[in-house]
Amino acid sequence: MLDTPAHTPRTDAAPARSRRTVPAWPLALLLTGALSAALTAAVAWGSTSIPPGEVWSVVWRRATGEPPGPGTDDLIVWQLRLPRALLAALVGAGLGLVGTAMQALVRNPLADPYFLGVSNGASLGAVAALVLGLGGGGALGLGLSGAAFAGALATFALVWAVARRGGGFAPLRLVLAGVAIGQFLSGFTSYLVLQAGDEQQTHSVLFWLMGSLSGASWPLLAVPALAVPAGMLLLQARARGLNALLMGDETAAGLGVDVVRLRREMFALTSLLTGVLVAVSGAIAFVALMVPHACRLVVGGDHRRLLPVSALFGALLLVVVDIVCRTAMDTQELPVGVVTSLIGAPTLLYLLDRRLGSGR
Amino acid sequence: MKIDIEDLSVAYQGHTVVAGACLLAASGEITGLVGPNGSGKSTLLRTVYRHLKPVAGRVLLDGTDVRALSPARAARHVAALPQERSGDFELTVREVVAMGRTPYKRAFAGEDAADRELVSRALADVEMADHAERRFTELSGGERQRVLLARAFAQQPDVLVLDEPTNHLDVRHQVELLGLLRARRRSTLISLHDLNAAAAVCDRLHVLHDGHVVASGPPRTVLTPALLAEVFGVRAAVAEHPLTGDPLIAFDHRRPLAAAPQAGSERSEQQAPPGRPHRPDGARDGAAAVRAAPGTAPRQTP
Repeated sequence: MLDTPAHTPRTDAAPARSRRTVPAWPLALLLTGALSAALTAAVAWGSTSIPPGEVWSVVWRRATGEPPGPGTDDLIVWQLRLPRALLAALVGAGLGLVGTAMQALVRNPLADPYFLGVSNGASLGAVAALVLGLGGGGALGLGLSGAAFAGALATFALVWAVARRGGGFAPLRLVLAGVAIGQFLSGFTSYLVLQAGDEQQTHSVLFWLMGSLSGASWPLLAVPALAVPAGMLLLQARARGLNALLMGDETAAGLGVDVVRLRREMFALTSLLTGVLVAVSGAIAFVALMVPHACRLVVGGDHRRLLPVSALFGALLLVVVDIVCRTAMDTQELPVGVVTSLIGAPTLLYLLDRRLGSGR
Repeated sequence: MKIDIEDLSVAYQGHTVVAGACLLAASGEITGLVGPNGSGKSTLLRTVYRHLKPVAGRVLLDGTDVRALSPARAARHVAALPQERSGDFELTVREVVAMGRTPYKRAFAGEDAADRELVSRALADVEMADHAERRFTELSGGERQRVLLARAFAQQPDVLVLDEPTNHLDVRHQVELLGLLRARRRSTLISLHDLNAAAAVCDRLHVLHDGHVVASGPPRTVLTPALLAEVFGVRAAVAEHPLTGDPLIAFDHRRPLAAAPQAGSERSEQQAPPGRPHRPDGARDGAAAVRAAPGTAPRQTP
């Protein structure tokens, strides 16, 4: 025991606050402000520009139940752009959370649902459900989310089992297993979509394999609007356990963490969130990889700070990326996954270089 | 707090690694586990901090089975320093040490002033207070081990469990770390590779061989040429350390044991064969199970 007297004057003690990392609360406030501004911009900008003041007045009239104003502004703001901007925010926040949790779960900062094949598994689950006619579950798409969850969970379990074969647990092996299995599954998904022969098949393949937010609608928001905040709360409750897991399973066990149970919970939760997100937006690459990385550089590795900051930054990033997707080309919009890949791949190369360069 | 290990058997990936081990780590003492690679030291320690579940036998903390406690409760009594390397997750030294408070915290609870004080004190105890804001992965091996020891201190345990904490450290850092253990003495169960370090730092040693405890007692009585030949398969002389008076083991690095024809016949008479479980005959009586015989005095090469 450390025989601690009740109060010892702090003389030579180091300052209690970290000097290296930015304090989390002001940063969270800043990110929340930036997110509000980005959401407003996302609704205001597009083929028809709407002044930000008008955006908020439409939202205000809708929120207070007043009759919608004249003209097409109400339609554009309320029916088209706002659900899409909110979907971008929810999916971005969800991806930030999933990436953070998954990286702790597999103790590999290069893990994310896309590279571990989990997103592709979710896509395959969703497409299989659509082809088999199980895509119902009402307008909310619960059936689709459920099928995507099942696909995600099964894939994650398979990748995990392959990576752990022989007892060892090399980070590279995990990522290679994930990429290989993910590619196999995405090939299968493409086949199923083309086989089903719907008239928009090329568009569907793009949606499921590259990710897109173009399907946004109010009913589609319901499931992620419940799942993402709930997931965030559950993860936040396990933040100390996730911290301990970073140091290793044995260390975590020695710190009183029920490692087996925590792993199971995180498996289920990350698969569930991935399934929910893929069901509404397809498999979006790189966001879940980049967001926790960037946030760790700013607030450090403690999950109690990292999780909320990753959720906010993920939301901000995807809202901004979607603005680019909608406005970059005059004739058509880009799938969101195209832009995340264009940003994400160079980022990944930079990260690899930094890691390998420093000999870690 | 004492640790009582009763007839402990542990299987790991289908193999029995610890087979009916019995030992006692007395309160306030530094108890060492020594033995060749694969003798079951780490596996035994893993059952104490509940990473592994025994197939038979019990680990008792002052009479309470650790498996009967919740994980967090057990972690308030036992702090572990396993042999593990973590990935690079941008954690600061202070954050790593603060993890020691995990078993005391509910979900969503932050650190209060008392926690911060404990963390600062633990850092000061290992002389790392000036490094609190550095990145953990930037530290040298010796600094890392000291920080992990601070984390274990911040856990306010009754017992420390350390699995070869001096592995991969250079001599100076080995001496520093073991010196810290003696200076901040508390009930400790430690496995060590280096027998001279074990002889210097431990009050009592237990020798593991093929999953059995084959000898127990103070280092002076346990570390004999006969035992070193039998368990470790080396020729060695045991002298007195000229500076400290501890037993000093000098290995014969020139000749393997097989080259010494008499060694085999000597040991078979003097020692219980490995593979037979050994019961320590009381913790405090100072009796060693294996005694040096006159014939095993170091031989001079002609």
